[in-house]
Amino acid sequence: MKTFFLSDGDLDEFVTNLIAKSPVFAPVAKKTRFVFNQLESVEDLRLDYDTTILPPKKLFVPTKQDLVTFEHGKYEECLAPGKKILFGVHPYDIKAISMMDWIHEESNFDIYYHSNRKATTIIGSNVQNHYKKAFFGSVCKELKVMGHDMFLTKIADGYLVEVLTKKGDDLLPDGNFTDVSKEQIKNAADVNTKADENCPSKLKNTSLEIKHKIRMYYDSDVWKKKSENCFSCGSCNIVCPTCYCFDIQDEWALEPTSGKRYRRWDACLTCEFSEVSVQGGSENFREERAERFRHRIMRKTSFLNDKLGGPACVGCGRCSGTCTADIADPVSIINEIMEK
Amino acid sequence: MSCSSNHDKNIFLPKNAIIRKASQMTAFETHFTLKMEDESEFIYEPGQIVEAGLFGYGEIPLGLSSSPTQQGSFELVVREVGKVSKALCALKAGDTMTIRGPLGKGFPVSEFVGQDVLIVAGGIGLCPTRSMIRYIMDRRDEFKDFKLLFGARSPDELLFEDDLAYWRCSSDVNYLETVDKPNDRWKGNIGVITTLFEGIDHLDPATRVIICGPPIMYKFVIAQLAKYNISEHHIFVDLERRMKCGVGKCGHCQINDKYVCMDGPVFRYSDIKDLEEAI
Amino acid sequence: MAKVKVAWFDFCCCEGCQIEMTNFGEPFLKLLELVEPVEFREAMSEKTTERINVSFIEGSFSREEDRVRLEEIRERSDVVVAYGACAVTGGINALKNHFEMDDYKEAVYGADKDMPHLDTQDAKPVSAAIKVDYAIPGCPIDKDEFLRVVTQLVHGTSKVYVPTYPVCLECKLRETVCRYDDGDHCMGQVALAGCGAPCPADGIPCEACRGFVENPNEKALEQVLQERGGLSAAWAKKKSQMFTANLRGDA
Repeated sequence: MKTFFLSDGDLDEFVTNLIAKSPVFAPVAKKTRFVFNQLESVEDLRLDYDTTILPPKKLFVPTKQDLVTFEHGKYEECLAPGKKILFGVHPYDIKAISMMDWIHEESNFDIYYHSNRKATTIIGSNVQNHYKKAFFGSVCKELKVMGHDMFLTKIADGYLVEVLTKKGDDLLPDGNFTDVSKEQIKNAADVNTKADENCPSKLKNTSLEIKHKIRMYYDSDVWKKKSENCFSCGSCNIVCPTCYCFDIQDEWALEPTSGKRYRRWDACLTCEFSEVSVQGGSENFREERAERFRHRIMRKTSFLNDKLGGPACVGCGRCSGTCTADIADPVSIINEIMEK
Repeated sequence: MSCSSNHDKNIFLPKNAIIRKASQMTAFETHFTLKMEDESEFIYEPGQIVEAGLFGYGEIPLGLSSSPTQQGSFELVVREVGKVSKALCALKAGDTMTIRGPLGKGFPVSEFVGQDVLIVAGGIGLCPTRSMIRYIMDRRDEFKDFKLLFGARSPDELLFEDDLAYWRCSSDVNYLETVDKPNDRWKGNIGVITTLFEGIDHLDPATRVIICGPPIMYKFVIAQLAKYNISEHHIFVDLERRMKCGVGKCGHCQINDKYVCMDGPVFRYSDIKDLEEAI
Repeated sequence: MAKVKVAWFDFCCCEGCQIEMTNFGEPFLKLLELVEPVEFREAMSEKTTERINVSFIEGSFSREEDRVRLEEIRERSDVVVAYGACAVTGGINALKNHFEMDDYKEAVYGADKDMPHLDTQDAKPVSAAIKVDYAIPGCPIDKDEFLRVVTQLVHGTSKVYVPTYPVCLECKLRETVCRYDDGDHCMGQVALAGCGAPCPADGIPCEACRGFVENPNEKALEQVLQERGGLSAAWAKKKSQMFTANLRGDA
């Protein structure tokens, strides 16, 4: 790893050079919230964002992604990865991306995800402001923040820049990176530690303790109680950086012989998700709100832990913030069960 | 367009298969015999699944209903229940459908070799288990006693009439059948599938068992098996879910930490009996 | 592929959905390569007596005498598509179902209220009178959805994929700032999606014009409308009547 300093004044030039080179996706303001959008100008960049509405995985698996086009009985895969830079990703989202990298690699390689992922350079940045529901400081400590190419930490007068990969190296000519002092390195480490410590919300137990106890509460009435106000809207799934379920559909185009097969993000909280066609209709193996509600929490705290090496939750707090009924917060559910 | 990745295979891209024969088995089920368009041999294990599809309509998961011991072609049965299956059932000999697979884990054949075997199939559950039934019949010497129990709702819903006729008179299999609702011509057993166990005094506790049928059937059959002291470790269930992707990604078939399409569809009962949503 | 013969019929409605269709522009002209309109009051004067492949019905079933006309259409058509909120759920017309018939007749027709030609009944969806094969909800319909459904239909697709999840999910997919995060209220949690959630994206709360999802959590909606949306208890209770009068628990 190489470490440099980039002054506040030089950040603009660096970003402007990046924009000239390839599309740069970075946090920009949208009313009271933020989203990862393609930067048109450095002025739109908001490294002081708290969190974005959707996680950056949308750049690797778009919310609606064409898989195959067909015409006259012939078909072709839709792969057209374009080089891009993903700028300003928070550490919790970097963790989630490394989980997604593995999920789309293990057992069956997902070429759509990985061709986009491979074409992307990821530049992380520290959390300057906390989202009101964030708890990343107390969850998924097993997994390291890794897989990104460069990381910026805001310190006095500028940024400490860590360059982690060859892809990161390739960007060095685009900015005025200067030498860094030991003190600046220490300051940056403190900034990141404090960001973890200052999360507005906290889990009180380790992932392993949580995994075991939550599973023991599979049959508890806590799920029914907690999900009474659930709308089954699936918002908590859609905004989650470690949710990756999808639905596949075929669609004809207006011309009679062609069309496409696409996938779209799906949500296990919605009623239709767990339906199975059977003769004479359909059966649903998670028919009750409480069952679907439990499935999400189980999936985040225990089902995928062996596969991922930690829980499938990075503590971004998006699910909790997006839930209009205010029942999706994993912290309140987990802490309640852990205190029993 | 090409991919520059070292992982060249696109798990979502199917291959074409030509329908050599399409015959309607019942009011709802069509039986297809297929061959890959590129003439390659389709290699699979009994109990594995494929995603069968038609562009413009979609794909559905189907258990292979033929045995790999049969060379040159493979067979699928499509039941008309939704958009895709309706479109598939309208296909005729000479038409093309798409195939992705084989996918998932089938029956662990080696564990059945040298043992008594009991297969319990209800309704359309005969389709995927037929892959194993035919395997055993084709390599009969490798297995000991072989019993097959089949239950259908009515005589009109009996599948694979030719196979049934053969099994009824074959000395290679002890075949018992029943229907829930008989018609005037039905002379056989009447009642749910578990009533067939009344005719079985003894089963070797080491018997390897396969169960496949409607969700309601599993618990009752498993309760019967307990009476013969058959180990849960030796019972295999073939589960059905809405497997959209077939490759363990889309999440639709997930039961707790298992993906039916990838970890199954065949599961050892002892591995899943504590998973509440399984059966 | 032979052209599919299609016809449009209207019942109790504002015909706004038909107008929406004439606003189509180019995609509609492309659609005309696949279909042949044989009856369409807003756009052509011809009428037909021959067999119709697909009939599109707009408007709610709100007079008993409409039943005969609906049955006739069903008889003449291979496929019946109900389109627009009125035809699919009863729409705004069904607001009256929550009042006494005499009261609304008097409010609308005054002294003439008992004239035989002004006879009326609860506004119901077309499906209350005849079998409907497909439904395209919305007030007005979404042109793109209409086009998508019709395109699949023309291909003989037996079931057209339409979302069953609520509008909230579509807002998230397009990263619309939640109305509640903007200090407003909304009914996207219980409203059937498929429209692409254009209203909240324009800063307008969802009114559930496409109807409810299956099993809408009405109790939670009432609570959230009050606690987070700032609506009064009485208003929160009535809020979803406008488009879902026939779908509410108190229908």
